[in-house]
Amino acid sequence: MRKSLPFLAMVLVVVFAMPAFGQLSSIDYFGYAWETGGFPPSNAGDVLVFTGVADFADPIFGVDLATEELTFYMYDLVSAGEVDIGGGVLMINYTGGWLEIYRDAAMNADWGIAPPNPTSPSTFIDGTLYFQGSFNSLTVFLNPGGDGAYEGSLDGIGGEMIDSVCADCVFTWGGNFVGASGAQIPDGYDLQIDGVFQIEQAVPTEGTTWGSVKALFN
Amino acid sequence: MRTRITLLLVALLLIAVPASAQQLFDFLGQTVVPGDVGGMLNMDSVVRDPAPATTPIPLDFANYEYTLVVRDLVLDIDGSPQVYSGGMLVIYEDNTTVADHANPATFSDGTAILIGAITTLNRTMFTATLGSAAGWVDWTGGTRLDDIAPADQLGWPFLTGISRHDGNVEAGYDEQWDGKVEPEEPIVEVTPMSWGSVKALLY
Repeated sequence: MRKSLPFLAMVLVVVFAMPAFGQLSSIDYFGYAWETGGFPPSNAGDVLVFTGVADFADPIFGVDLATEELTFYMYDLVSAGEVDIGGGVLMINYTGGWLEIYRDAAMNADWGIAPPNPTSPSTFIDGTLYFQGSFNSLTVFLNPGGDGAYEGSLDGIGGEMIDSVCADCVFTWGGNFVGASGAQIPDGYDLQIDGVFQIEQAVPTEGTTWGSVKALFN
Repeated sequence: MRTRITLLLVALLLIAVPASAQQLFDFLGQTVVPGDVGGMLNMDSVVRDPAPATTPIPLDFANYEYTLVVRDLVLDIDGSPQVYSGGMLVIYEDNTTVADHANPATFSDGTAILIGAITTLNRTMFTATLGSAAGWVDWTGGTRLDDIAPADQLGWPFLTGISRHDGNVEAGYDEQWDGKVEPEEPIVEVTPMSWGSVKALLY
């Protein structure tokens, strides 16, 4: 009986862990991307690379962006080519790929021009590896006007965040992008990207007594 | 006298420092979307320091919070994309209340430093939960309007990603918007100098 009570308590915590409105923990970022052969078009086999910086992180991440930077390096995402899904919108699925986030007090991120270059990605991959993930999926939707949105998910495989924030979570990656007609894009980059990195399963838990739980079923 | 004024203008042009870093107002917020044509879209968001990029005009993030709101953007055509017009975009500077989506008024208090007209905006949903919106802003008012040269005040792109995922949407809102407003080219920052300082540069 004594053994079963802690077990039941754990089960109850799991059962009563409920996602709430606006409760996903987020890091807001922006940056610039390039694809081999340029973008658009995104031809099958083209490889997408992105370097970026965070300008907001929920307190759960424990990072003070006033004194250190979080930098992003997304790479080795291979395009499956464009698919016309109607209305002039193109959909592009990517396979493979990695995302790394670094925590760095040097605050030296510099996109430069014509990437890869002496500062990009090098100034985005210095410091401490905060998160490393492998992409399960990434889908890009491209409007006729050259802007669009994207979303994907990752498995976390390394970095200090895995231990300190959430070890068994799914991480999502989504946002919008635009080409040169709608943004100041450094020479040699194809896209400006603005999005959020989120912990999909970091949900609040609601503590409750055994009596309260039983009352729910009576 | 006329020559002196002309020389001063020339000098100001010469001393105008071209900005090299990317410039943008990056925001993350929540939006209420109308259900029918004629209804109005409203957004409440917070502007973040985009370092190492810069904001188009200098902002004091250490001492103030900056909020960006969209008000009364009218849905003209309910299709794919939805077409909106007629709204207003305002950036507020405030150091007295913390922006809180549970109290939307906290986004529109303080000093309106930039006021703009949204000339048009298209909102497209690609899936049930993922979309984007793109529009244009003309700055027309606010206490910091004069920080932007008249020629640079028109035609700023407004772009945002849209998420309708439950975990991203705060109570009372329909969507999370994560986007930016920026000039298409870096706007030139003007450094005021005395006539003596200008002459000193030439000798």
